[in-house]
Amino acid sequence: MKIRHTLMLVFLFSLAACQTAPGQPSTMNDSTAPVRRKITIAWIPKGLNNPVFEVGRLGAIQKAAELSAAGPIDVEILYAGSVDSDGAEQARVIDDAVARGVNAIAISCDDPTACIDPINRAVSAGIPVMTWDSDSPQSKRFTYLGLDNIQAGQAAAYLLIQAMGTEGKVAILTGVPGADNLETRITGFREGLAAYPNIHIIATVVTNDDINLGVQAVEDTMQAHPDIKGWYFAGMWPLFADRGSMPLWEDAALHHGMKTIAFDALPVELGLLRDGYLSGLLDQKNWFWGYETVQIVYDHIINKKDFPAFVNLGYNVITKNNVDAMLQAWNTNDFSKPLPPP
Amino acid sequence: MRVAIKIHWFDWINRQEAFVFILLLIAILFLGLTTTTFLTQNNIQDISRNFAWIAIPAFGESLVIIIGGIDLSVGAVMALSGLVTAMALRFGVSIPMAIISGLAAGSLIGWVNGALVGRVRFPPFIVTLGTASIVRGIIFGLAGGWPILGLPSGFRDLGQADILLGQFSLPVSILITLLLAVLVDTLLSVTVLGRYIYTLGDSEQALIVTGVGLPRIKAIVYTLCGTLTAAGGILMTARLGVAAPTAATGYELDIIAAVIIGGTSLFGGVGSILGVLLGAAFMQVVQNGLVLLGIPAYWQSAAIGSMIFFALILDLWRQNRNIL
Repeated sequence: MKIRHTLMLVFLFSLAACQTAPGQPSTMNDSTAPVRRKITIAWIPKGLNNPVFEVGRLGAIQKAAELSAAGPIDVEILYAGSVDSDGAEQARVIDDAVARGVNAIAISCDDPTACIDPINRAVSAGIPVMTWDSDSPQSKRFTYLGLDNIQAGQAAAYLLIQAMGTEGKVAILTGVPGADNLETRITGFREGLAAYPNIHIIATVVTNDDINLGVQAVEDTMQAHPDIKGWYFAGMWPLFADRGSMPLWEDAALHHGMKTIAFDALPVELGLLRDGYLSGLLDQKNWFWGYETVQIVYDHIINKKDFPAFVNLGYNVITKNNVDAMLQAWNTNDFSKPLPPP
Repeated sequence: MRVAIKIHWFDWINRQEAFVFILLLIAILFLGLTTTTFLTQNNIQDISRNFAWIAIPAFGESLVIIIGGIDLSVGAVMALSGLVTAMALRFGVSIPMAIISGLAAGSLIGWVNGALVGRVRFPPFIVTLGTASIVRGIIFGLAGGWPILGLPSGFRDLGQADILLGQFSLPVSILITLLLAVLVDTLLSVTVLGRYIYTLGDSEQALIVTGVGLPRIKAIVYTLCGTLTAAGGILMTARLGVAAPTAATGYELDIIAAVIIGGTSLFGGVGSILGVLLGAAFMQVVQNGLVLLGIPAYWQSAAIGSMIFFALILDLWRQNRNIL
């Protein structure tokens, strides 16, 4: 496992090393042209194995291109990470970025505690660090851009109540037990349902971030509780599986009035929402993870702007009323336009 | 007389197939009595579908473990074979050819493992960990982090469809599993290669004396493991209708656990396909049962881990008994 991570890191940093070193002027063919400065921002996700981070990377690249075109400084994104979500490996990724001499680091922390020391080492080396998606509040990062997961969990509860009413059995699907963002989403969801005594949460099942295990967990739960009225998916794992792979869940959704609220808004989920399998989605604005972090880092190191400890990115609520607009955003790869109300 | 009965009891329990079979029956009986849904046709079909892609790679893994090796690349090979098959299908290749290409990818990785273990004499633990790393890297490179969706229904039927046998409908995947079980069991129990496999696990020297080429036997066994693992990966992809780069991450532990629970010794030389089949079924029944019983999710992995630990202790106990 360690060998795999090491090989991947060596590969990524070898690629990065092939490019111009950070902070140095770009090579210009025209010797009369003004020399442009270049800054490199290491944009580090929890792991390379999750497609939502790919969406964020596209946003980061988009903003870097916009800033480079509009100003005197070229902004370069260094996308680096361990293959799997692993706190120890991520610490090494941060150290490697520091060793390479990047100008700033923006990171989604796999483990808030494991991130503290490497972030503080980077800050001591004069490299500003911000967190996004998943915070390390005890570290010396200058700000955190993300979602208020408690608030989002409450919003999911509200959406589910709107769809299924105020009574019935509800089940929760989560990823790896103990993951901070998932646990807080579930806490918010439970808080949102607390005022409804006739809604009973009868099971919390795990996927370990695996599509197959997610499908099994949902179907096993549907076997055990055929009268379930609502599902809360704190992530989208089983929804990646094609139609027909969760026959009990699909049948209950289409023919027995069962409702599901899920996180994220990838095209496969939008299709399920449009076709009546899902009742609502909470879009974490994955594209803006990249787009906004690059702007914040740029403002911080170039324009010397300060930011509060928490910048709330918020979330989009997607229902049948605005699903087409979100699909359009995916088709055009332009997520900058505001969505119609849900 | 008392001694004779005791020896008989030990011999019987020493056959772990019988032991796992009894455990499986107890689990089925317990779940049948304590839940209203365990013995429904839907649930039994669900269990049999889901255990296919653990059981089939476990057949291959058991061959490797019987010769005294280990293959830690099975999870990565499952993902690679599913991905190669899905990519071939998306390129418009026919379903049989796409499946063959997925199987070929698994066989190739298995052959590389076998060649490095057999000819170069690298330790199997290091070799297969290395290939697992390389294969995962290739998968991420090929897929770019995104799962491949939109596979044709004819392919998905392999993992999702049922065949009517009288009043019962059986998932296609379970029929494939049983067919492969018979084939691999025949290979082990009837053929010369099967005899070599057991002998190799028992004593390499004994096989060297007979003049049989060890590297060749090892290459064949690891290649068979790669092919069977690929078959499991392809079935899983058909069941889910998606080939994800992260698929089957960590499944090597489940697969090895099914092999060990089924009575294959980590010390080599001992094991049967019937045992592996029962071991995989037992694991799936327990996993399903934990959800049906409403055991909190946070405790489920502890329960599975304890089961593996129990099987290992039993294996050690049997080994010590044989030594004594």
